[in-house]
Amino acid sequence: MVTKTVASYHFDTLAETISKLNEEDCTIIAGGTDVMVLHKSRRGVAPKIAKPVVFIDHLRELKQTYLEDGDLHIGACCTYGEMLEHSLIPNIFKKAIREVAAPAIRNRGTLGGNICNASPAGDMLPLLYIFNAKLVLRSVNEDRIVEIHDFIQGPRRIARQQNELLVEIILPEVVNEARLIFEKIANRRADAISKVSFAGLLQVQAGKVADARFAFGAVGPTMVRSQETEKKLLSQVYPLKVEVLDEVVADFASIINPIDDQRSTAAYRKTVALKLLRYFLTSKELF
Amino acid sequence: MITKDISQSVVKKDHVDKVAGQLPYISDVKMEDMLYGVLYRSPIAYGKVLSIEYPILPEGYHVIGAEHIPGGNFVKILIPDQPIFANEWVNYIGEPIFMLVGKELEVLYQLLDEAQVKFEEHEATYTLDDAIEKMTDVMATHEFGESLQTIEEIGKKAYQIIEEEYETGYQEHVYLEPQGMLGIYQEDEIQVQGSMQCLYYIKNALISALACDDDEVRVIQSPTGGGFGGKEDFPSMMACHVAIAAQVVKKPVMLLFDRSEDLVVTTKRHPSKIKYKTALDRDGNILSMSTEVFLDGGANTGLSPVVLQRALLNSAGVYKIPHYHAKGYVLKTNTVPNGAFRGFGAPQSFAGLESHMGHIARIAGKDPLEYKRQYLVKQGEPTITNGRFRDPIFMEDMIEDLLKTLNYKKKKEEFARFNQQSPRFKKGIGTSLFLHGCGFTGSGERDHIKATVKLLKTKDDQVLVKISNSDMGQGIFTTLSKIVAQELGVPYEEISFPYPDTKDVPDSGPTVASRTTMIVGKLLERAARRLKEKWQSGVEQEIVEDYVHEEMIPWDEKTFSGDAYPAYSWGVNIVEVEVDSFTGNVQLEKIHASFDIGKAIDERIVKGQIDGGMAQGLAYGFMEKMTSKQGRIQQRSITDYGPPTAMDIVHIESKLYDNPYAGGPYGAKGVGELTLIGGAPAVQSAIEDALAVPFYQIPITPEIIIESLEKREGEAVD
Ligand SMILES: Cc1cc2nc3c(=O)[nH]c(=O)nc-3n(C[C@H](O)[C@H](O)[C@H](O)COP(=O)(O)OP(=O)(O)OC[C@H]3O[C@@H](n4cnc5c(N)ncnc54)[C@H](O)[C@@H]3O)c2cc1C
Repeated sequence: MVTKTVASYHFDTLAETISKLNEEDCTIIAGGTDVMVLHKSRRGVAPKIAKPVVFIDHLRELKQTYLEDGDLHIGACCTYGEMLEHSLIPNIFKKAIREVAAPAIRNRGTLGGNICNASPAGDMLPLLYIFNAKLVLRSVNEDRIVEIHDFIQGPRRIARQQNELLVEIILPEVVNEARLIFEKIANRRADAISKVSFAGLLQVQAGKVADARFAFGAVGPTMVRSQETEKKLLSQVYPLKVEVLDEVVADFASIINPIDDQRSTAAYRKTVALKLLRYFLTSKELF
Repeated sequence: MITKDISQSVVKKDHVDKVAGQLPYISDVKMEDMLYGVLYRSPIAYGKVLSIEYPILPEGYHVIGAEHIPGGNFVKILIPDQPIFANEWVNYIGEPIFMLVGKELEVLYQLLDEAQVKFEEHEATYTLDDAIEKMTDVMATHEFGESLQTIEEIGKKAYQIIEEEYETGYQEHVYLEPQGMLGIYQEDEIQVQGSMQCLYYIKNALISALACDDDEVRVIQSPTGGGFGGKEDFPSMMACHVAIAAQVVKKPVMLLFDRSEDLVVTTKRHPSKIKYKTALDRDGNILSMSTEVFLDGGANTGLSPVVLQRALLNSAGVYKIPHYHAKGYVLKTNTVPNGAFRGFGAPQSFAGLESHMGHIARIAGKDPLEYKRQYLVKQGEPTITNGRFRDPIFMEDMIEDLLKTLNYKKKKEEFARFNQQSPRFKKGIGTSLFLHGCGFTGSGERDHIKATVKLLKTKDDQVLVKISNSDMGQGIFTTLSKIVAQELGVPYEEISFPYPDTKDVPDSGPTVASRTTMIVGKLLERAARRLKEKWQSGVEQEIVEDYVHEEMIPWDEKTFSGDAYPAYSWGVNIVEVEVDSFTGNVQLEKIHASFDIGKAIDERIVKGQIDGGMAQGLAYGFMEKMTSKQGRIQQRSITDYGPPTAMDIVHIESKLYDNPYAGGPYGAKGVGELTLIGGAPAVQSAIEDALAVPFYQIPITPEIIIESLEKREGEAVD
């Protein structure tokens, strides 16, 4: 075989890893379930990765999950499998995780990897958006905390500096009685990529909407969320008046612009996204 | 182990090796000096090759092209229209033009990029609809049945005439093991090993391509990880590639596809369009029916004419339809060639007809199942080709029994109530009734196949099965050994059944058409019986048994009349679904099936055929979606194509009816294809029941469901 060796690093500590990233532009590999697919070659040829590789999924510092001041901190290298087992992970995330890939991939794939891969079909993203997740980026300099919607800029485009590593995802406290939903629509029930996904949060207090958040996946280059539209719902009486409901759905109809591809059609994606929204806002079955 | 009843399940002969992961498939084989081959494939759908500029080759690398073929530049199947290397005209994207051979795949891929082929592009036919519009490239056609004049006259007096068009899509085999073939050069022969169903098809193709004698080529089956028809016709081309290359470079040459190459260049199930024209009286009774079947053959003929025959022969399903007429065509398109696939034209026909019967039932204001039952054929009645259903038919009993077990009426009421209360999820139940003609069509076994089997007994009294049929996972190592063992009165483990090698085994025919157990099994049963009679301990003995044709109503291929098949297997499927009317997703809830396959040679192996065949057939109806755009297959991964996972299929409750057929061993008939056929029509009927919307195509994807529901909503508002 004409094998070219790829430089690879596997440090014992997070600190050494971070200092290496400061020296050299590297490809970070957590679970590798996106990286290896992305760099796959044709049959019989090793994957081509141009930059040196840094492995991070063994670093214990990146696998901690804990509560601090009511906020939930999740280590970037927690795998789906680990999150499913962890008592602090919210149930709605567990529901979403059970719909990711299949057990083998869930044992390798990480939350940090899903975020940094920034796929429009990433299944953790809609929930992370409506939870207003904050990302802790560590470098030799001071930690930087970024909102997820600022971090993800487009398919496979993220606001990470070369010397930074995503170390933690922070989920600010969410009011207990909020209604939450996550729906993944795909061509089959395992090992499938979302054609549409939807996450919703609705909190009703004394018959009025106190909080409303929605995010749609796989219908645009990044998750579609509109805080402007969400605000329109605040203080509205619940059950919602038809005009209010129609206006919210119409708002999203104007900003959801999906595409046709080998998996589905633009028309389907849009129709279903809006149906799921309407259902979430009106259904008595859900609550 | 000797079982009292042959149906009793035993451990499959290759079970341990497979479960342990120790069985070496062709891609596991490494030989000294072995080279790899990669194919330069046409980037355009239709055009003339103007020039081929090969890359500059490093030492040890070779080009193998049309100039190296000693014989004719075509893959021998039915018609010589499939080039081994398309050096003059290309007819589809992905058609092989030449092959590069060398040690390192990485170097080969780079050389592929450096090659330059110039074309004069011509206007291609990309879709079946385009081909139907043009009707210029007809690869095969047949017509039979009632005269159109009579049908016209009946139509004039009819209360109404229902016309429908139905479409079916591609289906891909998704065998677990992608295609692979190894050519080995030896001084006195070229050997080809690989994943295959039909050793002698390959051998004959090699003799033609290499222009050599019978004993100069040798074909050996390697462990085969699934075929489903995908390894019936296609491997002949790969075998020609590696054999020619091995002969030129005088070294072993291996050609292996990865999944995405396999998905885009190998044969698929023919997409089809079927037109129905049915005359009804005032009460909704059928007065006459005419059917027109169009199959998309893809770029070359392959086995398409035979697929069309089976599609037409099954076009009236399990029904006795008065004044029936059928006509069909295979049309050429500039797309990847379509070929053999479990069911061989029948799944398209049954999906279309069951759909049509369901729709006219609703027009007549009747429950689809009740309506279809009125038309069930009975023993002794004629087939649509004026053959006879000679053997007992248990369909009525099978249906009645299922309805009782299911509490069908009550269930329908329950679903109706549920659907009224549930705005989002809707439940439905649907049925399909079907049959499958076992073995080759008409006199194919007698005139074309002429199967021969051999049993060899060594001096140590070891019995070996010598036939050319492949175990591709369906279990013939076990079932055929059981048949021989039962006759000889020895445990089945004592019968040896090595992977077949044409140097060693007679031509017992291809492993296709649900024929192996019934036809080849019967020959082995006879051979074993004779061996037992003549048994002489300590002496080498050989028993050869040839196919004997059972006299039926003689088949005439020109007029399409007579007995098309010696025997039929039968099935009833009832499927319950829950449809998400907001997303169009369909969840299978319960699956029930009854089959008459004569006699099960091994119940667990038959259960494997039922569960796998039904999963494949159900998915054909609503999940598996493959599309071609401008001649290019769009789905290049299993994920995008979407065959069902264990999460998508629920437990399949199945029941077998013994109905022994004298022409099969222990009464066995065919099972392999039958189990696939009822899946799609049953699931369609269940979806229609749930949503109260008719559909005119499969797969009924969520996209189609949402489109139909939106359309209905739009109409309701208007
Ligand atoms: C068969 C299969 C099925 C799949 N199914 C699904 C599915 O259903 N839903 C879904 O959403 N995804 C799915 N995926 C995609 C993938 O598994 C997930 O996106 C997973 O979360 C990626 O995590 P990882 O740790 O493997 O990422 P990796 O492949 O290791 O990394 C992904 C990207 O993130 C970067 N990165 C990783 N960690 C960090 C970090 N801490 N800091 C900075 N950069 C980092 C990497 O450099 C790379 O660019 C599937 C993949 C496969 C192979």
